[in-house]
Amino acid sequence: MTAFATADLGPSRARTDAPYLEMRGITKSFGTLLANDNVDLGVLDREIHAVVGENGAGKTTLMNILYGLIRPDAGEIRIDGQAVRIHGPRDAIAAGIGMVHQHFQLVPVMTVAENVVLGQEPGGIMLDRGASVREVRELSERFGLIVDPTARVGMLPVGLQQRVELLKILFRGSRLLVFDEPTAVLTPQETDELFEILRGLVAGGKTVILITHKLNEVMAISDRVTVLRQGRNAAVLETARTSPSEIARAMVGREVLLRVDRDAAHIGEERLRLEHVTADSDRKLPALTGVDLSVRSGEIVGIAGVSGNGQLELAEVLAGLRPVTDGHVYLGGEDVRHQNAAERRANGLAYIPEDRHARGLVLPFDVKDNLILGSQSRAPFATRGQRNSAAVEQRAENLIQQFDIRPPNPDAVASSLSGGNQQKVVVARELAESPKVLVAAEPTRGLDVGATEFIHRELIQKRDEGLAILLISSELDEIFSLSDAIAVIYQGRIVEVIPSAEADRERVGLLMAGGSVETAIPSADRIAQAAAEQATRDAASGAAPREGGT
Amino acid sequence: MDIVGTFGPIFARPDLWAGTLRFAAPLTLAALGGVISERSGVVNIAMEGMMLVGAFFSVVVAAATHDIVLATLASVVCGGLIAAIHGVASIHLRANQIVSGMAINLLALGLTSFLMFRFFATNGTPANIPALPDVKIPVVDGIPFVGDVVGDQNIVVWLSILAVPIVWWFLFRTRLGLRIRAVGEHPRAADTLGISVFGIRYLCVILSGLLSGLGGAYLALSVAHSFSNNMTSGAGFIALAAMIFGKWNPIGAFLACLLFGFGQSLGINLQGTGFPDQLVSATPYLLTVVALAGFVGRAVPPAADGVPYEVGE
Amino acid sequence: MSVATAQIQVPPSRVMRYLASGVTPVLAVVLAIIVGGLVVLASGSNPVVAYQQMLVGAVGTPFDISETLISSIPLILAGYAVSFAFRCGLFNIGAEGQLYMGAIASTWVATTFSSWPGLALILICMVAAMVAGGAWAGIAGLLKARTGAHEVITTMMLSYVAIDVSHWLLEAGPMTPSNAFGTPESGPIPPQAAFPIILPSSILPNARLNASLFVTILAGVAFAWILWRTPLGYEIRAVGFNAKAAAYGGINVARRLIIAMVLAGAFAGLAGMVPVWVSGRLYDSFSPGYGYEAIAVALVGKNSAIGIFLAGLLYGAMIHGSVAMQANANISGFLVQILQALVLFFVGAEMLVRWILKKGGLRRVLEVAG
Repeated sequence: MTAFATADLGPSRARTDAPYLEMRGITKSFGTLLANDNVDLGVLDREIHAVVGENGAGKTTLMNILYGLIRPDAGEIRIDGQAVRIHGPRDAIAAGIGMVHQHFQLVPVMTVAENVVLGQEPGGIMLDRGASVREVRELSERFGLIVDPTARVGMLPVGLQQRVELLKILFRGSRLLVFDEPTAVLTPQETDELFEILRGLVAGGKTVILITHKLNEVMAISDRVTVLRQGRNAAVLETARTSPSEIARAMVGREVLLRVDRDAAHIGEERLRLEHVTADSDRKLPALTGVDLSVRSGEIVGIAGVSGNGQLELAEVLAGLRPVTDGHVYLGGEDVRHQNAAERRANGLAYIPEDRHARGLVLPFDVKDNLILGSQSRAPFATRGQRNSAAVEQRAENLIQQFDIRPPNPDAVASSLSGGNQQKVVVARELAESPKVLVAAEPTRGLDVGATEFIHRELIQKRDEGLAILLISSELDEIFSLSDAIAVIYQGRIVEVIPSAEADRERVGLLMAGGSVETAIPSADRIAQAAAEQATRDAASGAAPREGGT
Repeated sequence: MDIVGTFGPIFARPDLWAGTLRFAAPLTLAALGGVISERSGVVNIAMEGMMLVGAFFSVVVAAATHDIVLATLASVVCGGLIAAIHGVASIHLRANQIVSGMAINLLALGLTSFLMFRFFATNGTPANIPALPDVKIPVVDGIPFVGDVVGDQNIVVWLSILAVPIVWWFLFRTRLGLRIRAVGEHPRAADTLGISVFGIRYLCVILSGLLSGLGGAYLALSVAHSFSNNMTSGAGFIALAAMIFGKWNPIGAFLACLLFGFGQSLGINLQGTGFPDQLVSATPYLLTVVALAGFVGRAVPPAADGVPYEVGE
Repeated sequence: MSVATAQIQVPPSRVMRYLASGVTPVLAVVLAIIVGGLVVLASGSNPVVAYQQMLVGAVGTPFDISETLISSIPLILAGYAVSFAFRCGLFNIGAEGQLYMGAIASTWVATTFSSWPGLALILICMVAAMVAGGAWAGIAGLLKARTGAHEVITTMMLSYVAIDVSHWLLEAGPMTPSNAFGTPESGPIPPQAAFPIILPSSILPNARLNASLFVTILAGVAFAWILWRTPLGYEIRAVGFNAKAAAYGGINVARRLIIAMVLAGAFAGLAGMVPVWVSGRLYDSFSPGYGYEAIAVALVGKNSAIGIFLAGLLYGAMIHGSVAMQANANISGFLVQILQALVLFFVGAEMLVRWILKKGGLRRVLEVAG
């Protein structure tokens, strides 16, 4: 990591104690859910301020209010001492706020240039396409964020897509930059690059808000931290003077185990084997190439990797939902290549899918119907073509009790349960048929600490009872916490399998990035200079950041 | 069945080709409207209803005022009004856009038939209403065959042909067009950049109503010179099929409309020859099914087509 | 969801949920009647007289009631056709074409095997109707499953094809009668194959209400039983709600889509057969749009067996009553179409109805209904 120069590059704005951004008394409820309860946020000029909290703590709501996507029930926003009314993104953009969302807001079929200029396109009635490309190219060169303006965004890899998002806000001359979980889709190396960019931007006069739940990143990059818990302020801390455990405690309200205790593994026979498995993605591009894996009874093999390197396709291949173009899948020694999903289930394969809303649950069904998904046509739930309601009811009650699913009502509609309880339904269902192999994809994504701990404990317990578990997760902490062996996946290949005792984060992170660092790392100095020049220009012309709108 | 003997002379008839243009004109207008609406993300299967309403009110105003300009204006405005209702339902009320479209079609049919009965009882509309003028092209008119086909077509036919490049240019070369397409593909992205998703969608839906209304006026004032219940009889749905067949592209939709217009013209010209013309008139529909099944390449609508937009996460 | 969510005190029972969900369609009907009345008023006629005549015409005399039932039956059956597909997430707009195919097939069987004994003949005609309708719908289902072709367009297009085919068959094709004067029509349905009239003429002379009423009730029972008491129905509903999750649960989504469409088409086929049997032969363009009206019936009936039955009755009443209304009050029968459109509109614009309920202090109803 390079040190950056804080040369006097622009109009010197001394860092004052008065906050640049002040959000005071922000309150917002959605029906009966109080998402923000009298929340305050103070961000100083030219600092990197982290906003942290568990899922559901209210940080995304707060930022959406700042950006005008949601209107608060109460509270005010002040920028540079002036009260501002933000009724929509147009006002936010005019106030100098730019936001890079967690899920990219890019139109896949349009080019980079079109995406960047959208809303503030050069030209009169007609769109000046030449100017668009030119201006975007200039901008990307000035800031060192190299990207081809004529490329279709949908074809770009994720790291470059994020650059496009960054260019969007720089194009509008935003001064306050908000990043919502930006590192969720990045390798550790790309994360470092991003942080260099952030440091450069701040040195050049911008202010950055970073929403994240990753404590190590908070420690690495931020100046101060605001912690939200259950919609309220929990703490405001100075990063230099705090620790991950103090932040975690503020997030959750109690002591948090950042690691799960587990005994040594009792490893038995091989239950799942993949040999040279090759498969294509939906877009007919290669997704998996020559994957070799082995999972034995009593062990957890963790697949580490950044989302989008073939994990989804791997899970689907195992579940029987995606055909393999080459290679074999052996379940308990049997070649299951031609077995469909139902058959594999019957042969002892269970699967916790990556997205419980999209793939794991039928939300409009009640809990008891969700608990038999996959077994609905087998005895005892169906006999001679008819549904056996008593058996379904009985199963539901057993599982609800065993897994402490709340509310303990088999007739409750699944969509009314909290995320953690929904995931418990999925886990309960999958473990209920005593499977031999479990594939768990992102099992604790979006869950709060309590639910996460529960599921981790459950997985460890089943592993101790002899279950073979393949864990797919983009959270490196989770992988390190649970796995007995770590397999790193990169661009559809298993790069290496390391016993967890020998694995360290640095090495794994490097492997996740393909063992080498990407091209054209932007330099912090370059960015600082470009940002400062932009600020000078804006100040000189007296112009506010460019207008948006139809 | 002597294919060459039957079809040969029919293909040589200029009326077949002139008829193609005549049939294609209202289809083109409605299909272009559909393209605009769906490019912004609002599914519009109500073109049939908008055309019908346009047809009815053009006749009513024409009969009352004998002013062709007013009558045409009335049809266009009424089409737009009906479209606005569809817009409110789809955009603000977030209704299922297919249901809303069907309701509009049903409403248009019921309303026009109801009012027809109320105002004209069983006598039918008056006979001497003005018509939209034909355009005689001086020199071309004299050329054998070609002159018969294009030399003397209605002004709306030419308007519909002109509309094709205009709509294309509008969608693909203007700033507004870029925003429309963005709203249709990824409305949230557009929203976060300060673009009014609702505003753009309303604009596009109403535009589609204006165009369909004009198509209806053409049918009533220039072709039938009257109004009868359900006179559009599926033209709006053929236009819908053409839009899909043309892959939501103005030029593709136009070509599809020509094809379907040809089918209709062929059907008319085959009457009395013993060849099953009812089956010929079924071909546009079959072709659309074939297109959708992917035999002519995938027909992919704008990504956010038919999905109501909710502001906020 | 954050822990800050408030808990609803008593989870509503299934029965309560069921009843509460009936409130929105009822309100939609009421709103439609009001707006329809305004239309009548604006056109210079008296809405009270209009509705009064409609009501009297629909249920004024026992004969009228039996006629109303006759009008309702095809709507109910077609409503099941639309709704069954809906349960699998499919929008079956083409029920009209499917019922035409059912009508054609059953008529053909009846006229071809006209010497067969009654019970056997009527049964195979019913089977023919269901197979034809099912196959026609199955095409769209197959296309959706294999190529992803959107069923709204494919069923609609196939519908037009079916209608054109029926025109051809009756006007210029094999089913044209030899004396082709007047309205194209098929040969007569053999009398032994007719549905028995269920009300003897001693009670109600000239009544046309026949055993197809029982067929309809049976269809409703089958509809509910398949969907709620069989694993097939579970799988169909799962696919309808979340095809991805269903796939992950091992359900063969493609097969379920096809089966759902085929079964839906079977209901539609029956819907086509009944009016033909009532008239005694297949007339050209015999359907006044049952398949399209059925969409409204399905939505108003909230896709439930009983709801559709009731909604179908309502629509049948409106249709039959409008004949009297037009004759006696000189108000066009097309008012029914306007009402149907408005109901469809208000049911579709559920948000509007919900908003009205909220303002009317009936928020609890909404919560219970979900």
